Parts: sequence; structure tokens; C-alpha cells
Amino acid sequence: MDKAEIKSRVEKVTAQVLKVDPKEITPTANFAFDLGADSMQSIELIAAFEEEFNISMDEQKAREVQTVEGAVEFIAGYLK
Amino acid sequence: MSESTVFAQKDLEHVFYPKSVAVLGTNRVVGTVPYDIFANILKDSFQGIVYPVSPKERSVAGVRAYKYILDIPDPVDLAILVFPSTVCNLALEQCGQKGVKSAIIISAGFREIGPAGIKREEEIKAIAQKYNISFIGPNCLGVINTDPLSRLNASFARKMPQEGSIAFLSQSGALCTAVLDYAQAKHIGFSKFVSFGNKANINEIDLMRYLKNDPKTKVILVYLEEITDGAGLMNVAREIIRETGKPILILKSGRTREGAAAAASHTGSLAGSDEVCDAAFRQAGIIRCTTIEEMFNAAIALAYQPVPQGKRVAIITNAGGPGVLATDAAIAQRLELAKFSEQTTEVFKKSLPATANIKNPVDVIGDARADRYKVALGSALTDPGVDGVFVILTPQSMTDIENIAQEVCTTIGKYDKPGYASFMGEKDVAVGINILQQRSIPHYILPESMCKAYASALFFKEHRDQVDEPQAEFVGVNKPAAADVIRSAMGAGRSYLPEEESNVVLKAFGLPTLPSALARSKDEAMKMAGDIGFPVVLKIVSDDIIHKFDVKGVVLDVRSAEAAGEAYESILRNVAAAKPDAKIKGVFIQKMVMRGEEVILGVKRDPSFGAVIMFGLGGLFVEVFKDVSFRVAPVGPRAAGEMIREIRAYSMLAGARGKKPRDIKAVEECIQRLSLLALELPEIKELDINPLIVSDEGAGCYVADARIML
Repeated sequence: MDKAEIKSRVEKVTAQVLKVDPKEITPTANFAFDLGADSMQSIELIAAFEEEFNISMDEQKAREVQTVEGAVEFIAGYLK
Repeated sequence: MSESTVFAQKDLEHVFYPKSVAVLGTNRVVGTVPYDIFANILKDSFQGIVYPVSPKERSVAGVRAYKYILDIPDPVDLAILVFPSTVCNLALEQCGQKGVKSAIIISAGFREIGPAGIKREEEIKAIAQKYNISFIGPNCLGVINTDPLSRLNASFARKMPQEGSIAFLSQSGALCTAVLDYAQAKHIGFSKFVSFGNKANINEIDLMRYLKNDPKTKVILVYLEEITDGAGLMNVAREIIRETGKPILILKSGRTREGAAAAASHTGSLAGSDEVCDAAFRQAGIIRCTTIEEMFNAAIALAYQPVPQGKRVAIITNAGGPGVLATDAAIAQRLELAKFSEQTTEVFKKSLPATANIKNPVDVIGDARADRYKVALGSALTDPGVDGVFVILTPQSMTDIENIAQEVCTTIGKYDKPGYASFMGEKDVAVGINILQQRSIPHYILPESMCKAYASALFFKEHRDQVDEPQAEFVGVNKPAAADVIRSAMGAGRSYLPEEESNVVLKAFGLPTLPSALARSKDEAMKMAGDIGFPVVLKIVSDDIIHKFDVKGVVLDVRSAEAAGEAYESILRNVAAAKPDAKIKGVFIQKMVMRGEEVILGVKRDPSFGAVIMFGLGGLFVEVFKDVSFRVAPVGPRAAGEMIREIRAYSMLAGARGKKPRDIKAVEECIQRLSLLALELPEIKELDINPLIVSDEGAGCYVADARIML
């Protein structure tokens, strides 16, 4: 899967889970600070990404990912 | 200039009296901290403007929300951060860009969670420094200001407390909520209420200094779990007490002895952090409380009533038993039962029934109604021999609780002496207690608590009126001589000064060391002993031997040159057998003092409070009973005298069981000289003079043995 597809699917999942306007989801957008993810939603987001990409992520490390582009890179690491 | 001083010069006014507040990271989920904080500000009628800042909400509680603080068109005085800790740095950075100078960081997930949190905390501290932002927290409940000019409830406490004159500062947020609930039930109001959490920027010292000048605050209460700047805390407390007469009560938790376990000296092992804290608070005039209840018992006494001028109390009761209980409790708190004047006694005779006890405690008898309490209370409060009054009521079938409570409030309110009440019981007396609490008469269920509260108020008064004692200066102190010994020992990589070197250091500061010499041969020992004058004591000197008695390296009471020669040889034989590898420097010969009481003096360096001086009676009293007293240096003459008098075995020195009193004045001087030494020679970590032999009054005292750790 190429980065563009990962990015597009990350944006889609983020918009669904956080219930934000897709236009707000820029690569540098911070999940908590710019998109308003609280701690519960952060966990929901990790679960949704795992389901979307059919992967199992290290939760501790996943929670350290703060931005949309960071999430794309992190997920890409699991899809190599 | 300390960090605290720098922040004290910053503007804390905007934390308590902001004209505009932004809540960063709020949301619309009722029952969550981000929402409740915002809702509390709205609900409790904040007098300024409040802006919700929420990344994805257009409004919160009907108020238009902004995505970023930078989007708010007007200036913001105070930012309250409720974002997850991972992004508080981003939020604070924007606060800096917006020009905000004050913040409260509620979010948890900082220093308290370990290395990752410490890193985050350092990051927000750096941002605050960059933009000159003062902030409370992180990891806190928030701030409440009940002043009608502000009415700011920037906290997630369930309720805004009623207005009052007590300020409460707490390192624990959870405790704050319990305290608010406790205080509400007792009609206790607050001026300011602050949970300061990790105190990464604004700490208790900064807040106390602010409260010093807060006209709404009369009494300051602090709950602390750790003291990072003990000296700073003592200084600010003294400043507040002396300059504004506001009492300070601190509940310090964590009474641990663990820190003392590894200490190398007697002083080190006895001066645990809690004992030092006790001594330091007492010196600074801080009332140390052991429970929340004790703290509020004293706080209401100080906030509601005049400070007592003395310890003579009158007890007015409608029952004999509680009067006796109160008397016992008063005496246990070192109070005195007042002796009534003839005039007061005459009034009692005329106004009270013949069966009444008109001596203190005054028993107005079980059928007493409000009029009888009024006469007894009014007369006692008028009597010049009475400093304060305790009113006790037990609910008997004829007791008119409500009216008596009203009368007690009215009568006490007419005088400038303190009056406290104890309506004993619970259910029947509740109506009376409620009246007392609402009309700000300190009430206590138990007479014991009442007496303790009075004693605390009296402690405050006595310290408020005391003049600070500076370190006494002494002529002839030779600091360079002492510093030379220390420098040379440290240069040789030693962290321990043996007795002969310790003596040089002590002598340089005028402590009364005994004539002594170091002998390196039997002949030298015989000659030196004769020169010093008999009797003498001989002790082994070796860097490898600290406990000389354990290797039979000491011979006492040597009374001739021949005996000195023999002692010299026997010591070397004993040491060779017990510790063959020890490198021997020689044998120390010292004048022996035959008569006197053995006491111990010591120095310990506390990481928070600095140099601490210890005093105690020697032998069993120190080893078993730990009967010692402490003061933080500098120790002046008054404090030195108090240190001696406050040990339980003081009478041994003062002349118990027909013995002559010992030279207490000489010990007082030693304590002060030791305090000077501790301040001037910071390289000394611990020091023991054990024993100091105290002769009869006027005959001085002598250092018989000493050791110093560097």
C-alpha cells in the first residue's frame, strides 16, 4: 500500500472517529490540540486504525503519535 | 535571588482577579474535567469574561467557542489548560504568543508519572520562562476566589465555597475536594482556595507571599507533601506573621524516618526530616497540624475570634463532669484556670443559684437558661484576670439550647477577648451548633479540641510578638584555623575528622575543648600527661578506627605518669590485637573532667532547611528515649535556652533530687557557637559532641569527645 492511500484512509478514519470536518485534517494537524481528541477518542482512534489496516499496533508507541502525518508514517511501518 | 522571589515579583493578581479567562481544551461532555471547569466558571457568576477554546466545538454551554486562543479577538488575562498533557506545550506556546501572563494547568500526566512526564514538565517550564508566564500546576484541581469582585471558580470542585477569611493552599487536589465538603458542613468560608499540584512554577511560598497582602485573607492554611525550600518557607512565614499578623497553619504529611536511617552520626540518625520540620515550623511561628480537623479547629479560632493575650482561661459549664474534662485538657495544653476577681465572684454569688460552683470551672447548674450563661460569660469576659472563655453545654431536659447559643454568640461578640464553645453531644445540640457556626463562634464537639485550638492561637500570639534573633557574634573566632583542618582533610580524601582534628575546629569557634596532646611514644605520653595535669584519659588515634571503645582503645581516669605509660602500651596492644591493619597516628591524651552531667550537641545538614543544631541529655536519654531538641541555625540565645528547657529530662540539668543545678548558661553559649560554626563551615555535613560534660552552675562545660563528618 502506498503512502497516498494510507494518508487518505487515515484521514477518513480520523474524520469518522473524531467527527471533524475532513478539511481540518491537514498533515500537521495534532489529534488532540487541533482536532480535539480526548484520551478516550485517542484509544478509539488507535483501534479504528488497527481495524482499517488490519494490523496490531504497539499501543504505548501508538499513543505517542501526535499528528496525522506521524500516524501515516507509523502505520506505514507496519505495512512494509 | 531565589526562584520564589522572582515569581513573587510577577503578577499573581491575574490568577485571582482576571478580567478575562480562556479555558483551553474544554468540550461539551458534561461530567468531564474539561467541561466542568468551564461550566463552574459560568455557574458561579465570574465577574469577568470567559472564553471556551475547543478544537472542534463551535460552542460550549451556549458560549461561542474558539478553535485556538489566538483566535480570541480580545486580550486574555488568565489561561486555564485542560488539554491532555501531551499537548499542553502547544497550548502554552500559543498562550505566550497571545501575550497571556498567567495560567493554571489542570492537566495531569507530568512529573508525577515518571520520566516522560518530567520531560513534559521541563518543556512547559521552558515555555513559561520564554514568555514570562506564571502558572499554577500542573496536576491540580484549580483555583477559587470567593471575593465578590472576582467570584472565580476555576476548578473542578463540586461547589464554590462560601466567602470567608481563610485561605487554603494544597499540594493535593483530591484533598481539596474533601476539605471543601468538610468546611461546607461547618459553615466555614474561604477567601482563596488553591490546589497547586506539582508546583512547577508558582509554589506555596509565592502564594503565601501573595496572601500576605490579600485583604480578604486573615488566616493561611497549607497542606504540603514535600518541602523543597525549607529556608524560604521559614522566611516567608516569619515575614507574614511579623508584618501582617496573619497566622499560618501547615499540615505536612509524610512523617518518615527512612531518610535518617543511613546517617552516620547520632545527630544524623535522630534528626529525621520530620523532627527537623517540627523544629523549623516552631521557630518560624508556623502552627503545625497533624490532621485536617486539628487544622480547622485552630483556623476557626484564629479567623473568628481575637487572638488570646494569655493562658488564663475561664470555663463556664452547666455540668460538673465536662467542666473537669475541660480543666484537665486545659492543663494538658499548659493553660491556666483563671482566678476570678472579687468583683466577678460577687456577681456570681448574687446572680447564680446557691448550688452553683462560682469558682473556675464555673458550674451554672443543669437547669441554666440563657440568662445565667449571659451573666457568667459576661462577668468572666470583663474580669481582667481572664484571657479567654470556654463555654460548655450539655443537653439536659431543661436546657434551652437555641436561646443559649444565641446568647453565647451575642455576649462573646461584645468583648475583645476570645470565647469558644463546646456544645457536647450531636443530635440535640445540632440546632445550637448551627447557630454558633453561622455566627462565627468557634465550636468544638470535645473540650479537648477546644483547649488545643486555644493553645495553638496562643502559640501564634507568642511568636508574633517575638523579635527575630540573629546569630550571635563571638569575639576571637578563628575561622581560618578551622578551615585549614577541613581543607587538608578533604585534600587527603578524608570525609571524617578524628577527635584531635575535630577539637581544633571546635576550639577555633570557642567551644570549650579540654587541654590535650598527641603522644607518639610511651615517654611522650608520660610527659604530656604530667604537663596536662591528672587525671587524664588516653585514646587511640587512627583514621581506620572510629569507635575507639570497641577496640579497647580508651583508658579513663589515669592519675600518674607511670599509669599513663602503662595505658599507652596497653592501648597499642589492644588495638594491634583487635585491628592489626589499622594505621596508628598516636595516642590522644586529654584532661579528664570528673564531675558533671553528660549532654550531646550536634549538627546535621538538612537538604531543605540547612544547618540543624541538636541538643539532648547523653547516654540512655539519647539512645533509648530520643529525648532531644532541634533548631535550624542561626540559633540565638532565646532559642538556645528553649532547646535546653524543652527536653523531657531538663530537670536533670536544672537540679533534680537535691543535685546542684548545672551550668546551663555555658551550654546555651555552646549551642550558639555551634550554630555559628555550622553556618560558617558548610563543608561539615554532620558533627557530634558526645559528650559535652556540664559542670555545676558557674563552672562551665567541656567537650569530652567529638567527631566531624565532611
